[in-house]
Amino acid sequence: MPAPTATFDYEAALRACARGDQQALHGLYQQESRYLLGVALRIVRQRALAEDVLHDAFLSIWRRAGSFDATRGSGKGWIYVVVRHQALNVARARTHEVGADEETVEALLHERQAEGGDSSDAYALQADMGRLHDCLGHLDEAKRNCILYAYVDGCSHSEIAQRLSSPLGTIKAWVKRGLASLRQCMG
Amino acid sequence: MDNDDELQRLASEYVLGTLESAERVQVEQRLAREPALRVAVDAWELRLLPLTALAPPAQPSAQLWPRISASLTPAALRQAGGWQAWWNNLAFWRVLAGGAVACTAALAVVLGVQLQSPAGPGYLVVLVAPQDKAPGWIVQAGNRNALGKSNTDLALIPLGPTSVPEQKSLQFWTKGKDWKAPVSLGLVQAGQSLKVSLDKLPPMQADQLFEITLEPQAGSPTGRPTGPILYIGRAVKVM
Repeated sequence: MPAPTATFDYEAALRACARGDQQALHGLYQQESRYLLGVALRIVRQRALAEDVLHDAFLSIWRRAGSFDATRGSGKGWIYVVVRHQALNVARARTHEVGADEETVEALLHERQAEGGDSSDAYALQADMGRLHDCLGHLDEAKRNCILYAYVDGCSHSEIAQRLSSPLGTIKAWVKRGLASLRQCMG
Repeated sequence: MDNDDELQRLASEYVLGTLESAERVQVEQRLAREPALRVAVDAWELRLLPLTALAPPAQPSAQLWPRISASLTPAALRQAGGWQAWWNNLAFWRVLAGGAVACTAALAVVLGVQLQSPAGPGYLVVLVAPQDKAPGWIVQAGNRNALGKSNTDLALIPLGPTSVPEQKSLQFWTKGKDWKAPVSLGLVQAGQSLKVSLDKLPPMQADQLFEITLEPQAGSPTGRPTGPILYIGRAVKVM
């Protein structure tokens, strides 16, 4: 999610969408589509699929704009949440298919290792994330990578296990403890 | 396990994305009826949202927006704000009637010469913008020609320019008193006159409704108005 743009009123655009104003939805699209597609693309990993996600997410935004509640969060945040969960639904449905195929899992695993593994910190964290940045910094590297692989890349537990070459049970425990520490740190 | 711990685990892993398909569906269903879970999920969305900045932007293809736009129409129809809401709103028509009558009177004077010459009754409609009642088009129909033969042509004449967004078209509609739904009279070019033959339609009536709506480029895909009404008016009988 890019830094907030002072001139664009996301809440007003959503209210206009709720009244059936298609120009308002187009305005949101012009403002955010390249960032939203970036988020979806990291999670579903195929361009055509990511565009399908964005298509379905914008229809969802259009239909549900009337139910947007500004007391629960910002309009901009709500749009990202809709797109991310649409992408996650697609990714999780596919994980299931891929998971049944042992050979594919093996092939993915070798591919990752050939790329040089993931022992180094997977992401250069940006400093403008405020408190989240500090709290992620307090986690050990393995837990931090679990959370980033899941949130940004849409990895399932077993995909993270492949990436970090660690047992599934260990990954599940790292994710759980990492999240609990984050909550304690951020409040 | 402590209830709150389990709630936090579900909420956090739902937001993180590590729940499996079946569990995700369950959480989404529970969100609608469990405020505590909703509050926990909202808090996790807020905590982790800054991480979306880590995904590099990707420019969508040029076809994506037209695809989205084309998909909006059926949804727009299902919403209460569709054409039926306008068409059935009595208050709207009451407000409009005053403005339309004033415009009609003014224009009838301007057009008087033209309308009187062929002799015989005809209909005049002034189409005005719903917001400010500014007249934008007039419709002339049903007057007899010089030979006394009934003329079934209808003319739509612009009074000024109309701006049309890209990938959009103007579509012209009419609806008689007892008709179930409006009938399309075709697409309209902004600022250009249009002649339409009415032989396939019942004869013109006083108070027959006319409107121009904003539709997708190829016209409404449903055969009913789906976009906003740009101009609207009722037929008035003129001598």
